[in-house]
Amino acid sequence: MSDGHPHEEVPQERSPYAARIRAMEDLLVGKGVLTEAEIQDRIEYMESRTPANGAKLVARAWTDPAFKERLLSNAKAAARELGLDPTHEAEFIAVENKPEVHNLIVCTLCSCYPRAVLGRPPDWYKSFEYRSRAVREPRAVMREFGFEPEENVEVAVFDSTADVRYMVLPMRPERTEGMDEEELAALVTRDALVGVSVPRFEDAAAN
Amino acid sequence: MTAFTRGDRVRVRPAGKPGHVRTPDYLKGRSGWISSVLGHFPNPEDLAYGLSGIPARTLYRVGFRQPDIWTGYEGPAGDRLYADVYEHWLEPEGER
Amino acid sequence: MSGVHDIGGSPSGPIDRSQHEVEDWERLADAINGALGGKGLQTTDQHRRAIESLPDYKDLGYYERWTAATEKLLVEKGILTQAEIDEKAGELERRWSGS
Repeated sequence: MSDGHPHEEVPQERSPYAARIRAMEDLLVGKGVLTEAEIQDRIEYMESRTPANGAKLVARAWTDPAFKERLLSNAKAAARELGLDPTHEAEFIAVENKPEVHNLIVCTLCSCYPRAVLGRPPDWYKSFEYRSRAVREPRAVMREFGFEPEENVEVAVFDSTADVRYMVLPMRPERTEGMDEEELAALVTRDALVGVSVPRFEDAAAN
Repeated sequence: MTAFTRGDRVRVRPAGKPGHVRTPDYLKGRSGWISSVLGHFPNPEDLAYGLSGIPARTLYRVGFRQPDIWTGYEGPAGDRLYADVYEHWLEPEGER
Repeated sequence: MSGVHDIGGSPSGPIDRSQHEVEDWERLADAINGALGGKGLQTTDQHRRAIESLPDYKDLGYYERWTAATEKLLVEKGILTQAEIDEKAGELERRWSGS
Protein backbone atom coordinates (compact mmCIF):
# COMPACT_ATOMS: atom_id res chain seq x y z
CA MET A 1 0.00 0.00 0.00
CA SER A 2 2.10 2.81 -1.29
CA ASP A 3 0.99 6.34 -1.84
CA GLY A 4 -1.81 6.51 0.75
CA HIS A 5 -4.38 6.61 -1.99
CA PRO A 6 -7.80 6.06 -0.44
CA HIS A 7 -8.95 3.65 -3.11
CA GLU A 8 -6.16 1.06 -3.10
CA GLU A 9 -7.60 -2.36 -2.68
CA VAL A 10 -6.35 -5.87 -2.14
CA PRO A 11 -6.39 -7.70 -5.46
CA GLN A 12 -8.38 -10.92 -5.39
CA GLU A 13 -10.71 -12.08 -8.11
CA ARG A 14 -10.83 -8.64 -9.45
CA SER A 15 -12.36 -7.36 -12.64
CA PRO A 16 -9.94 -5.75 -15.11
CA TYR A 17 -12.28 -2.78 -14.99
CA ALA A 18 -11.22 -2.03 -11.41
CA ALA A 19 -7.83 -0.83 -12.67
CA ARG A 20 -9.49 1.06 -15.52
CA ILE A 21 -11.81 3.10 -13.29
CA ARG A 22 -8.97 3.79 -10.85
CA ALA A 23 -6.81 4.88 -13.77
CA MET A 24 -9.55 7.24 -14.93
CA GLU A 25 -9.87 8.62 -11.42
CA ASP A 26 -6.11 9.25 -11.16
CA LEU A 27 -6.03 10.96 -14.54
CA LEU A 28 -9.17 13.05 -14.04
CA VAL A 29 -7.98 14.28 -10.65
CA GLY A 30 -4.46 14.84 -11.95
CA LYS A 31 -5.78 17.04 -14.74
CA GLY A 32 -8.14 18.93 -12.44
CA VAL A 33 -11.26 17.70 -14.21
CA LEU A 34 -12.59 16.35 -10.91
CA THR A 35 -11.41 16.67 -7.35
CA GLU A 36 -11.15 13.91 -4.78
CA ALA A 37 -13.67 15.84 -2.68
CA GLU A 38 -16.21 15.78 -5.51
CA ILE A 39 -15.74 12.04 -5.90
CA GLN A 40 -16.01 11.45 -2.17
CA ASP A 41 -19.18 13.57 -2.05
CA ARG A 42 -20.76 11.30 -4.64
CA ILE A 43 -19.75 8.19 -2.73
CA GLU A 44 -21.35 9.60 0.40
CA TYR A 45 -24.42 10.66 -1.57
CA MET A 46 -25.00 7.08 -2.71
CA GLU A 47 -24.24 5.57 0.70
CA SER A 48 -26.84 7.81 2.32
CA ARG A 49 -29.59 6.62 0.01
CA THR A 50 -31.15 3.37 1.19
CA PRO A 51 -34.46 1.51 1.04
CA ALA A 52 -35.11 2.72 4.60
CA ASN A 53 -36.01 6.06 3.02
CA GLY A 54 -38.75 4.38 1.04
CA ALA A 55 -39.90 2.51 4.11
CA LYS A 56 -40.27 5.84 5.95
CA LEU A 57 -42.46 7.22 3.17
CA VAL A 58 -44.63 4.11 3.19
CA ALA A 59 -45.02 3.97 6.98
CA ARG A 60 -46.04 7.63 7.06
CA ALA A 61 -48.54 7.04 4.24
CA TRP A 62 -50.01 4.11 6.15
CA THR A 63 -50.60 6.19 9.27
CA ASP A 64 -51.50 9.56 7.74
CA PRO A 65 -54.08 9.48 4.91
CA ALA A 66 -53.45 13.12 3.96
CA PHE A 67 -49.72 12.38 3.58
CA LYS A 68 -50.57 9.36 1.48
CA GLU A 69 -52.50 11.56 -0.94
CA ARG A 70 -49.57 13.98 -1.11
CA LEU A 71 -47.19 11.08 -1.75
CA LEU A 72 -49.35 9.86 -4.60
CA SER A 73 -49.77 13.29 -6.18
CA ASN A 74 -46.22 14.65 -5.71
CA ALA A 75 -43.78 12.09 -4.38
CA LYS A 76 -40.75 14.40 -4.47
CA ALA A 77 -42.50 17.02 -2.32
CA ALA A 78 -43.65 14.31 0.10
CA ALA A 79 -40.08 12.99 0.33
CA ARG A 80 -38.83 16.48 1.16
CA GLU A 81 -41.43 16.72 3.94
CA LEU A 82 -39.67 13.77 5.61
CA GLY A 83 -36.26 15.35 5.27
CA LEU A 84 -35.18 13.36 2.20
CA ASP A 85 -33.48 14.86 -0.84
CA PRO A 86 -35.08 13.35 -3.95
CA THR A 87 -33.55 15.87 -6.34
CA HIS A 88 -33.10 14.33 -9.76
CA GLU A 89 -33.89 15.32 -13.33
CA ALA A 90 -36.35 12.42 -13.58
CA GLU A 91 -39.79 12.45 -11.98
CA PHE A 92 -40.43 10.25 -8.95
CA ILE A 93 -43.83 8.59 -8.75
CA ALA A 94 -45.29 6.24 -6.13
CA VAL A 95 -47.83 3.75 -7.46
CA GLU A 96 -50.36 2.42 -5.01
CA ASN A 97 -51.11 -1.25 -4.47
CA LYS A 98 -54.80 -1.86 -3.84
CA PRO A 99 -56.82 -4.99 -3.11
CA GLU A 100 -57.61 -5.20 -6.82
CA VAL A 101 -54.22 -4.09 -8.26
CA HIS A 102 -50.65 -5.17 -7.55
CA ASN A 103 -47.82 -3.16 -9.11
CA LEU A 104 -44.40 -4.34 -10.29
CA ILE A 105 -41.54 -2.08 -11.42
CA VAL A 106 -38.87 -2.91 -13.98
CA CYS A 107 -36.53 -1.16 -16.40
CA THR A 108 -36.12 -3.49 -19.38
CA LEU A 109 -33.69 -1.21 -21.23
CA CYS A 110 -31.19 -0.62 -18.43
CA SER A 111 -31.81 -0.37 -14.67
CA CYS A 112 -33.73 2.83 -13.97
CA TYR A 113 -34.64 2.92 -10.31
CA PRO A 114 -35.39 5.76 -7.87
CA ARG A 115 -31.74 5.93 -6.72
CA ALA A 116 -32.04 9.46 -5.37
CA VAL A 117 -34.39 8.11 -2.71
CA LEU A 118 -33.66 4.39 -2.38
CA GLY A 119 -29.98 4.14 -3.37
CA ARG A 120 -28.63 1.31 -5.51
CA PRO A 121 -31.03 -1.28 -6.89
CA PRO A 122 -30.52 -4.93 -5.96
CA ASP A 123 -28.38 -7.06 -8.28
CA TRP A 124 -31.38 -9.10 -9.40
CA TYR A 125 -33.23 -5.97 -10.56
CA LYS A 126 -30.33 -5.23 -12.94
CA SER A 127 -30.10 -8.81 -14.21
CA PHE A 128 -30.92 -9.78 -17.79
CA GLU A 129 -33.31 -12.40 -16.40
CA TYR A 130 -35.44 -9.92 -14.47
CA ARG A 131 -35.35 -7.28 -17.19
CA SER A 132 -36.43 -9.80 -19.83
CA ARG A 133 -39.08 -11.68 -17.88
CA ALA A 134 -40.79 -9.14 -15.60
CA VAL A 135 -42.74 -7.62 -18.50
CA ARG A 136 -43.72 -10.90 -20.14
CA GLU A 137 -44.34 -13.18 -17.15
CA PRO A 138 -44.61 -11.03 -14.03
CA ARG A 139 -46.51 -13.67 -12.08
CA ALA A 140 -43.86 -16.34 -12.70
CA VAL A 141 -41.19 -13.84 -11.63
CA MET A 142 -43.02 -12.96 -8.44
CA ARG A 143 -43.53 -16.65 -7.73
CA GLU A 144 -39.73 -17.03 -7.67
CA PHE A 145 -39.73 -14.45 -4.90
CA GLY A 146 -42.38 -16.42 -3.03
CA PHE A 147 -45.27 -14.11 -3.78
CA GLU A 148 -48.38 -14.91 -5.74
CA PRO A 149 -51.29 -12.48 -6.10
CA GLU A 150 -54.73 -13.95 -6.68
CA GLU A 151 -55.95 -14.45 -10.25
CA ASN A 152 -58.57 -11.75 -9.80
CA VAL A 153 -55.97 -9.19 -8.72
CA GLU A 154 -54.68 -7.17 -11.66
CA VAL A 155 -50.90 -7.27 -11.96
CA ALA A 156 -49.72 -3.95 -13.41
CA VAL A 157 -46.13 -3.83 -14.64
CA PHE A 158 -44.43 -0.44 -15.04
CA ASP A 159 -41.52 -0.40 -17.48
CA SER A 160 -39.45 2.69 -16.56
CA THR A 161 -38.55 3.54 -20.12
CA ALA A 162 -38.17 7.29 -19.79
CA ASP A 163 -37.97 10.18 -17.35
CA VAL A 164 -39.95 8.68 -14.49
CA ARG A 165 -38.69 6.52 -11.60
CA TYR A 166 -41.28 4.40 -9.85
CA MET A 167 -41.69 3.07 -6.33
CA VAL A 168 -44.51 0.85 -5.14
CA LEU A 169 -46.63 1.99 -2.20
CA PRO A 170 -47.60 -1.42 -0.77
CA MET A 171 -50.79 -2.01 1.19
CA ARG A 172 -50.53 -2.00 4.94
CA PRO A 173 -50.53 -5.62 6.08
CA GLU A 174 -53.18 -7.01 8.38
CA ARG A 175 -52.66 -7.37 12.14
CA THR A 176 -50.47 -4.27 12.31
CA GLU A 177 -52.99 -2.00 14.05
CA GLY A 178 -50.91 -1.76 17.20
CA MET A 179 -47.64 -0.83 15.48
CA ASP A 180 -46.09 2.60 15.47
CA GLU A 181 -44.51 4.23 12.42
CA GLU A 182 -41.03 2.89 13.18
CA GLU A 183 -42.29 -0.67 13.58
CA LEU A 184 -44.30 -0.35 10.38
CA ALA A 185 -41.30 0.95 8.45
CA ALA A 186 -39.32 -2.10 9.57
CA LEU A 187 -41.81 -4.30 7.69
CA VAL A 188 -41.22 -2.54 4.38
CA THR A 189 -38.45 -4.23 2.43
CA ARG A 190 -36.59 -3.08 -0.65
CA ASP A 191 -38.21 -5.93 -2.56
CA ALA A 192 -41.72 -4.75 -1.58
CA LEU A 193 -40.92 -1.27 -2.95
CA VAL A 194 -40.17 -2.88 -6.34
CA GLY A 195 -43.23 -5.09 -6.07
CA VAL A 196 -41.80 -8.63 -6.12
CA SER A 197 -43.20 -9.18 -2.65
CA VAL A 198 -45.43 -7.51 -0.09
CA PRO A 199 -44.81 -6.50 3.53
CA ARG A 200 -46.14 -8.98 6.05
CA PHE A 201 -46.85 -8.80 9.76
CA GLU A 202 -44.70 -11.94 10.16
CA ASP A 203 -41.60 -10.10 8.97
CA ALA A 204 -41.49 -8.15 12.24
CA ALA A 205 -40.47 -11.28 14.12
CA ALA A 206 -37.32 -11.58 11.98
CA ASN A 207 -35.36 -9.29 14.30
CA MET B 1 -49.45 21.45 -26.92
CA THR B 2 -50.05 17.72 -26.72
CA ALA B 3 -51.38 15.44 -29.41
CA PHE B 4 -53.12 12.99 -27.06
CA THR B 5 -55.18 13.12 -23.90
CA ARG B 6 -56.04 10.57 -21.25
CA GLY B 7 -58.10 7.71 -22.59
CA ASP B 8 -57.09 8.13 -26.23
CA ARG B 9 -56.42 4.86 -28.02
CA VAL B 10 -52.93 4.84 -29.48
CA ARG B 11 -50.53 2.53 -31.26
CA VAL B 12 -46.78 2.45 -30.82
CA ARG B 13 -45.22 3.08 -34.23
CA PRO B 14 -43.83 -0.15 -35.65
CA ALA B 15 -40.70 1.64 -36.78
CA GLY B 16 -37.01 1.02 -36.51
CA LYS B 17 -34.62 3.83 -35.79
CA PRO B 18 -30.85 3.68 -35.57
CA GLY B 19 -29.15 4.92 -32.46
CA HIS B 20 -30.38 5.43 -28.94
CA VAL B 21 -34.09 4.83 -28.56
CA ARG B 22 -36.18 4.46 -25.41
CA THR B 23 -39.19 2.74 -27.02
CA PRO B 24 -38.68 -1.00 -26.51
CA ASP B 25 -39.09 -3.41 -29.41
CA TYR B 26 -41.68 -5.49 -27.57
CA LEU B 27 -44.14 -2.56 -27.77
CA LYS B 28 -43.69 -1.73 -31.45
CA GLY B 29 -46.98 -2.02 -33.26
CA ARG B 30 -48.93 -2.64 -30.04
CA SER B 31 -52.10 -0.73 -29.22
CA GLY B 32 -53.14 0.67 -25.88
CA TRP B 33 -54.45 3.84 -24.30
CA ILE B 34 -53.08 7.03 -22.83
CA SER B 35 -53.03 6.48 -19.08
CA SER B 36 -51.36 9.74 -18.12
CA VAL B 37 -49.76 12.81 -19.67
CA LEU B 38 -46.45 12.94 -17.84
CA GLY B 39 -45.05 16.24 -19.04
CA HIS B 40 -42.47 17.59 -21.48
CA PHE B 41 -38.91 16.39 -21.59
CA PRO B 42 -35.97 16.91 -23.94
CA ASN B 43 -35.70 14.09 -26.46
CA PRO B 44 -33.28 11.45 -25.12
CA GLU B 45 -32.59 10.22 -28.65
CA ASP B 46 -30.81 13.53 -29.22
CA LEU B 47 -29.43 14.02 -25.71
CA ALA B 48 -27.60 10.74 -26.13
CA TYR B 49 -25.39 12.37 -28.75
CA GLY B 50 -24.82 15.63 -26.94
CA LEU B 51 -27.56 17.51 -28.77
CA SER B 52 -29.97 19.71 -26.85
CA GLY B 53 -33.03 17.49 -27.21
CA ILE B 54 -35.09 20.64 -27.75
CA PRO B 55 -37.90 21.08 -28.67
CA ALA B 56 -39.05 19.01 -25.71
CA ARG B 57 -41.36 16.08 -26.42
CA THR B 58 -44.53 15.19 -24.58
CA LEU B 59 -44.14 11.99 -22.58
CA TYR B 60 -47.13 9.74 -22.00
CA ARG B 61 -47.74 6.76 -19.78
CA VAL B 62 -49.39 4.27 -22.11
CA GLY B 63 -51.39 1.33 -20.78
CA PHE B 64 -51.68 -2.02 -22.52
CA ARG B 65 -53.57 -5.24 -21.89
CA GLN B 66 -50.89 -7.89 -21.45
CA PRO B 67 -52.65 -10.33 -23.84
CA ASP B 68 -52.46 -7.57 -26.48
CA ILE B 69 -48.67 -7.46 -26.16
CA TRP B 70 -47.76 -11.14 -25.80
CA THR B 71 -49.14 -14.04 -27.78
CA GLY B 72 -50.10 -16.70 -25.27
CA TYR B 73 -49.72 -14.45 -22.24
CA GLU B 74 -49.71 -16.80 -19.26
CA GLY B 75 -51.81 -14.78 -16.90
CA PRO B 76 -55.28 -13.34 -16.49
CA ALA B 77 -56.57 -11.09 -19.27
CA GLY B 78 -56.97 -8.36 -16.66
CA ASP B 79 -53.20 -7.91 -16.28
CA ARG B 80 -51.75 -4.65 -17.54
CA LEU B 81 -48.44 -3.14 -18.59
CA TYR B 82 -47.55 0.54 -18.52
CA ALA B 83 -44.63 2.13 -20.35
CA ASP B 84 -43.55 5.73 -20.73
CA VAL B 85 -43.48 6.62 -24.43
CA TYR B 86 -42.61 9.88 -26.20
CA GLU B 87 -45.23 11.45 -28.45
CA HIS B 88 -43.30 10.94 -31.68
CA TRP B 89 -43.52 7.19 -31.16
CA LEU B 90 -47.32 7.19 -30.94
CA GLU B 91 -50.04 7.39 -33.55
CA PRO B 92 -53.81 7.21 -33.17
CA GLU B 93 -54.97 3.61 -33.25
CA GLY B 94 -56.70 2.89 -36.53
CA GLU B 95 -54.42 5.18 -38.52
CA ARG B 96 -52.49 3.42 -41.34
CA MET C 1 -33.98 -5.68 -32.42
CA SER C 2 -33.03 -2.10 -32.00
CA GLY C 3 -30.17 -2.97 -29.70
CA VAL C 4 -28.51 -5.64 -27.61
CA HIS C 5 -29.91 -4.00 -24.47
CA ASP C 6 -33.52 -4.08 -25.67
CA ILE C 7 -34.39 -7.36 -23.98
CA GLY C 8 -37.93 -6.95 -22.65
CA GLY C 9 -39.76 -10.19 -23.41
CA SER C 10 -36.70 -12.18 -24.44
CA PRO C 11 -36.59 -15.76 -23.20
CA SER C 12 -34.52 -16.04 -20.08
CA GLY C 13 -33.84 -18.23 -17.08
CA PRO C 14 -34.38 -18.16 -13.33
CA ILE C 15 -33.46 -15.01 -11.48
CA ASP C 16 -30.39 -15.16 -9.29
CA ARG C 17 -31.53 -13.47 -6.11
CA SER C 18 -28.13 -13.31 -4.43
CA GLN C 19 -26.59 -9.93 -3.68
CA HIS C 20 -22.86 -9.40 -4.00
CA GLU C 21 -21.02 -7.03 -1.72
CA VAL C 22 -20.42 -3.81 -3.62
CA GLU C 23 -16.69 -3.46 -4.24
CA ASP C 24 -14.75 -0.23 -3.85
CA TRP C 25 -14.10 0.06 -7.57
CA GLU C 26 -17.84 -0.25 -8.25
CA ARG C 27 -18.58 2.54 -5.79
CA LEU C 28 -15.94 4.53 -7.60
CA ALA C 29 -17.51 3.83 -11.00
CA ASP C 30 -20.82 5.08 -9.61
CA ALA C 31 -19.19 8.15 -8.10
CA ILE C 32 -17.13 9.14 -11.15
CA ASN C 33 -20.23 8.79 -13.30
CA GLY C 34 -22.20 10.99 -10.94
CA ALA C 35 -19.40 13.54 -10.51
CA LEU C 36 -18.95 13.89 -14.28
CA GLY C 37 -22.70 14.31 -14.59
CA GLY C 38 -22.75 16.91 -11.86
CA LYS C 39 -20.23 18.98 -13.81
CA GLY C 40 -22.15 18.66 -17.06
CA LEU C 41 -19.34 16.63 -18.65
CA GLN C 42 -21.53 13.63 -19.29
CA THR C 43 -25.28 12.97 -19.23
CA THR C 44 -27.36 9.92 -18.33
CA ASP C 45 -28.51 9.61 -21.94
CA GLN C 46 -24.96 9.77 -23.31
CA HIS C 47 -23.88 7.16 -20.79
CA ARG C 48 -26.76 4.86 -21.70
CA ARG C 49 -25.97 5.23 -25.39
CA ALA C 50 -22.34 4.37 -24.72
CA ILE C 51 -23.33 1.29 -22.71
CA GLU C 52 -25.68 0.12 -25.46
CA SER C 53 -22.91 0.40 -28.05
CA LEU C 54 -20.49 -1.89 -26.21
CA PRO C 55 -19.69 -4.88 -28.41
CA ASP C 56 -19.29 -7.14 -25.35
CA TYR C 57 -22.43 -5.85 -23.60
CA LYS C 58 -23.72 -9.34 -22.82
CA ASP C 59 -20.42 -10.54 -21.39
CA LEU C 60 -19.74 -7.69 -19.01
CA GLY C 61 -21.02 -7.21 -15.49
CA TYR C 62 -23.14 -4.22 -14.57
CA TYR C 63 -20.41 -1.91 -13.32
CA GLU C 64 -18.03 -3.20 -15.98
CA ARG C 65 -20.47 -1.83 -18.55
CA TRP C 66 -20.64 1.45 -16.66
CA THR C 67 -16.87 1.73 -16.52
CA ALA C 68 -16.40 0.84 -20.18
CA ALA C 69 -19.05 3.40 -21.16
CA THR C 70 -17.49 6.15 -19.06
CA GLU C 71 -14.13 5.40 -20.64
CA LYS C 72 -15.65 5.55 -24.10
CA LEU C 73 -17.23 8.94 -23.39
CA LEU C 74 -14.11 10.44 -21.85
CA VAL C 75 -12.09 9.50 -24.92
CA GLU C 76 -14.86 10.55 -27.30
CA LYS C 77 -15.01 13.96 -25.66
CA GLY C 78 -11.24 14.34 -25.65
CA ILE C 79 -11.10 14.66 -21.87
CA LEU C 80 -8.66 11.75 -21.66
CA THR C 81 -6.85 9.74 -24.30
CA GLN C 82 -7.13 5.99 -24.76
CA ALA C 83 -3.37 5.69 -24.55
CA GLU C 84 -3.07 7.35 -21.17
CA ILE C 85 -5.92 5.30 -19.70
CA ASP C 86 -4.37 2.07 -21.02
CA GLU C 87 -0.97 3.04 -19.68
CA LYS C 88 -2.22 4.02 -16.23
CA ALA C 89 -4.46 0.95 -15.93
CA GLY C 90 -1.55 -1.29 -16.89
CA GLU C 91 0.64 0.41 -14.30
CA LEU C 92 -1.97 -0.15 -11.59
CA GLU C 93 -2.45 -3.80 -12.51
CA ARG C 94 1.31 -4.36 -12.31
CA ARG C 95 1.49 -2.62 -8.97
CA TRP C 96 -1.40 -4.65 -7.57
CA SER C 97 0.11 -7.91 -8.77
CA GLY C 98 3.20 -6.98 -6.82
CA SER C 99 5.46 -6.95 -9.83
